[in-house]
Amino acid sequence: MQHSKRQPSTKKRKIRVHHHHLKSSIFMASRNQGSAPRALVVEDIKVDRLILMHMLHKLNCEAIAVENGKEAVDLFLEGKTFDIVFSDKDMPIMSGPEAVAKIRAMGATEVKIVGVSADFGGKEAFMQAGADVFVPKPVKLETLQSMLEVVISKKNMSG
Amino acid sequence: MSAANQLAALIANMFATGLLDDQFQQLQMLQDPSAPNFVSEVVTLFCHDGERIIGELAKLLDKPTVDFDRVDAFVHQLKGSSASVGALKVKNTCIQFREFCQQKSKDGCLKTLETVRINFYELRGKFQTMLQLERQVNGFPPNN
Repeated sequence: MQHSKRQPSTKKRKIRVHHHHLKSSIFMASRNQGSAPRALVVEDIKVDRLILMHMLHKLNCEAIAVENGKEAVDLFLEGKTFDIVFSDKDMPIMSGPEAVAKIRAMGATEVKIVGVSADFGGKEAFMQAGADVFVPKPVKLETLQSMLEVVISKKNMSG
Repeated sequence: MSAANQLAALIANMFATGLLDDQFQQLQMLQDPSAPNFVSEVVTLFCHDGERIIGELAKLLDKPTVDFDRVDAFVHQLKGSSASVGALKVKNTCIQFREFCQQKSKDGCLKTLETVRINFYELRGKFQTMLQLERQVNGFPPNN
């Protein structure tokens, strides 16, 4: 956390206080409206899954994780709904882009889908499948935060 | 030298020698009182998974006919998890490894596997020392 330095002076100075509580804006926004964003993580690599889940919990997200695209599609087939999906590209059984295409084909057009991959060529595959955005791995906490803020404001507007 | 100073020196050395990059600092920043063992959990999982993957790669490359797609898939996993924990040297070796997979070069893959093994175990050893020193700093006895 950083704090501004107060300069002794006869002139009035603007005091800026910088808060590095990454959680605060998302937490307050979701708390005021009563619902945390619901996220689905689709990732086969355990280390990546652990890190992404931790980041999402840190940002006050209700998050669950599955290990491949088929498990993600099955959740949607069961009628589960999410505000945002983070999907890796290359996974066993069903890839991320394939899962995204199936999810969109089911009519799940409102859910924000984020394609995630260390492979920069993955962007085209995800966007053609119907993802909203692509982010390269490793994902930064600030990137997640800004995405979740968009999701929350959209939720709040739709009531 | 106190355990805290040894820990700081070790981590600084790991950055200076190219074993780690700033992604590891991102992990450290994610640790907080609500998740006091986060870095330890991630590092332990990485070491466990990395060892398993290297074992699988050795088996695949020992076969008379190599399935380069499967080899590439495992290397992709190790590259991904290396990037996520900031294991720079291991990640870069995996990038080279994938090129040999694309070329379907068994010799290239075998040589690079050996480099991956050396880099991984060097990192793993330092991670283990790091975790031991963290335990001491936090007032726990070292694991035997």
